[in-house]
Amino acid sequence: MKQRHWISWFCVALVSSLALVASSIADDPPATDGERAYEIKATTLCPVCDGQNVLESNAPVAAAIRAQVDELVSEGRSDEEIRGWMARQYGKDVNANPPRTGIASLVWIAPVFVAVASAAFLVFAFRKWRVGRGAQLSDDDLKIVSSLREPT
Amino acid sequence: MLVRGTGSYIVIALLGTFGVAVGFVGAIGGVMTLVSALASKREEHHRRAITWVFIMASGCVLAVTAMEIGLLRDDFSMQYVAANSTRATPLLYKIATLWGALEGSLLLWAFVLSVYVTAVAISFRRRIEDRLVAWALLTMLLICVFFFGLLVGPADPFGTLSIAPIDGDGLNPLLRNHPLMAIHPVMLYLGYVGFTVPFGFAVAALVTGRLGEGWLVLTRIWTLIAWVSLTVGILLGAWWSYEVLGWGGYWAWDPVENASFLPWLTGTAFVHSVIVQERRGMLRVWNLSLLLVTFALTIFGTFLTRSGVIDSVHEFSASSLGPLLLAFFALILVVSVALVGWRGDQLRSPGSIDSPLSREGAFLANNLLFTLFAFIVLLGTVFPLIVEAINGDQLAVGRPYFDRMLLPIGVALLLVMGVAPTLTWRSTAGSVVGTRALVPAAVGAATMVLALLFGAEGLGPVLGIGLGGFVIGSSARHLVLAVVRNGWSGVTGRSGGGMVAHIGVSLLAFGFIASTSFSEEAEFQLRPGDRGSVAGHQIMFVDIVDEMDGPNRVVRARINVEGRGIYSPTITQYPTFGRPIATPSVATSFIDDVYLSLVAIPEEDSDMVVIRVLVEPLVAWIWVGGAVIAGGTLLAIVPGRRHARADLEEVGL
Repeated sequence: MKQRHWISWFCVALVSSLALVASSIADDPPATDGERAYEIKATTLCPVCDGQNVLESNAPVAAAIRAQVDELVSEGRSDEEIRGWMARQYGKDVNANPPRTGIASLVWIAPVFVAVASAAFLVFAFRKWRVGRGAQLSDDDLKIVSSLREPT
Repeated sequence: MLVRGTGSYIVIALLGTFGVAVGFVGAIGGVMTLVSALASKREEHHRRAITWVFIMASGCVLAVTAMEIGLLRDDFSMQYVAANSTRATPLLYKIATLWGALEGSLLLWAFVLSVYVTAVAISFRRRIEDRLVAWALLTMLLICVFFFGLLVGPADPFGTLSIAPIDGDGLNPLLRNHPLMAIHPVMLYLGYVGFTVPFGFAVAALVTGRLGEGWLVLTRIWTLIAWVSLTVGILLGAWWSYEVLGWGGYWAWDPVENASFLPWLTGTAFVHSVIVQERRGMLRVWNLSLLLVTFALTIFGTFLTRSGVIDSVHEFSASSLGPLLLAFFALILVVSVALVGWRGDQLRSPGSIDSPLSREGAFLANNLLFTLFAFIVLLGTVFPLIVEAINGDQLAVGRPYFDRMLLPIGVALLLVMGVAPTLTWRSTAGSVVGTRALVPAAVGAATMVLALLFGAEGLGPVLGIGLGGFVIGSSARHLVLAVVRNGWSGVTGRSGGGMVAHIGVSLLAFGFIASTSFSEEAEFQLRPGDRGSVAGHQIMFVDIVDEMDGPNRVVRARINVEGRGIYSPTITQYPTFGRPIATPSVATSFIDDVYLSLVAIPEEDSDMVVIRVLVEPLVAWIWVGGAVIAGGTLLAIVPGRRHARADLEEVGL
């Protein structure tokens, strides 16, 4: 690489890092009651409306839950308390966020396991490929390919 | 109103039943013809199957026509019409009612399948004596037998009622208040069903042992058509849900959405990795498996959505077909695994991957990410079922899970998408990447600075936007160089069209990131003349219009969005449907959407309304991005000469 490339890359990297730093230092004030309530509503599913959360749904029970969340938040309850209360009241499946304990934790762990395993497999395959041996193309296949490749 | 002509119209239902029966017989006739010709090795008899395909297709056309006549003429002696249509339904929705409920949507499936199989039969008529083509056609016809079988028996769309009601019940109101309802399901089915064609050829390649690249070249255009239809179908569904459901979102990780997304993910992996095979003869097992899995997932998705095993907004068409669809899915899986296992030893690739830093390496990374993505979507969708089966626990897997797991993969995909065009086949020197990626990286950095100036914040969103800029820079560089070398044909072909599609993906990513990360919301209680303000937008409540539209009570709040005009979010109370349906109204622009919805029907003797206002930046870019992706894919398909120079010469760029 020529030297001016190094200089240009340095500038690009500098600008990018500065931009990324600037994006994340915007001081995050502690969540207001409104933001907390919003987050809880967005991750609580409406018990009667098939997969919509209570923020999105206009079913009466969703409106009731929204009001309950607002009330509990203004009483100063913690997120965990409120979620626990919702789960007791409406069932565990109103929480859109699967728990990280017990058998449910598998849903979080399995993808990580699969990612690592398949990456490891690829590394292994790379090594093996270098000594690859191959199947032969049949004449028919070659004919088809060449007939299609020829500009008509 | 009197019951009009029940007796004379019963004939329409009979015609429909007859059409379905003809379709079924046609499919079986085709299968038997091909089986006997293949078994006795009489290639000259293959041609007879084409006649059966035509018979099947005509039967299906007859059935669809009968159903449409029944719908358009309000023939409520037909059970399907009585259950899903009303006299008052507008014309467009009467037509669309064909795919509004279970039996009709299966009829549409059979129809689209017949169209594809007929198209295959016609375009391969000169090569029908080839055993590969015959086996492919046989596979497709077997799938036809299954779907026509459903229509003949368990999901008969042409059942009749001995006493026709005066009026029908009508569709779920959510399905009849937006014209997209007429297009979205058709596009989706064109995509879903379209994967039957490459599936058929994949099975044929495995059965005949002709595992080279020939069958791939044959099916390339079919795969791309299916893929682009599925892409557009999914995006239209997102758009429909944005315009209709009233919460301002377009994707909810609903099981039915996931069911359509899964084959898209594996199909997308396939359209990329197949390039490696066509070019280098590698990844044969992998590509075949991806195709088989993609088709199997379309059937699995149908099972999920049609069996009622999973709660979903789309559950309007749940039924008892579950076991049949599950059995068919299992059959496809078993056959696929058995075929791949049987031919496994012949599938070894002649080529090898020399370096991870190469075009092949980038395609592999793409595939790893897409299959991981698909795995997570599948796991999240079926996990509640698994847990319930194991210990009876009810739990939900929703947006927080999918966001947490999938956003990092999305970011990684953008990175690969940006780097890949700078790589050459076989291996690439680091210095080459350094030279080629410089300008794209600078574009990415500039995009981030620009985003910050417009008020973007947060590490994830800004990084995503920067990578989007990098992808645009990298794709545009590739396109410019291709055009300089080859003239305007540089934007066509796999490589040119692909780059255009990638630019579309970046636009879509910008829209997705901005609308999810930087939206602002407020709820106002307003009296006529009151004002509110969200994210710099002034709104004023003008007045309320409460009127009857036929049997339905329609309440409109007229709201002036400053600089955009008057918009009217609506709530409709349908007499045949309990809960009132709110329809939002969206003031769209390329900068942001002002999304208005009416929260509840205003109380009697009160002029106060509750309005929810959501300001979402760049939502329109999602739809524009989708159009660009579709355009790019068409550019990749269009050139009749499949290997235009641009396609073959991409190495040197």
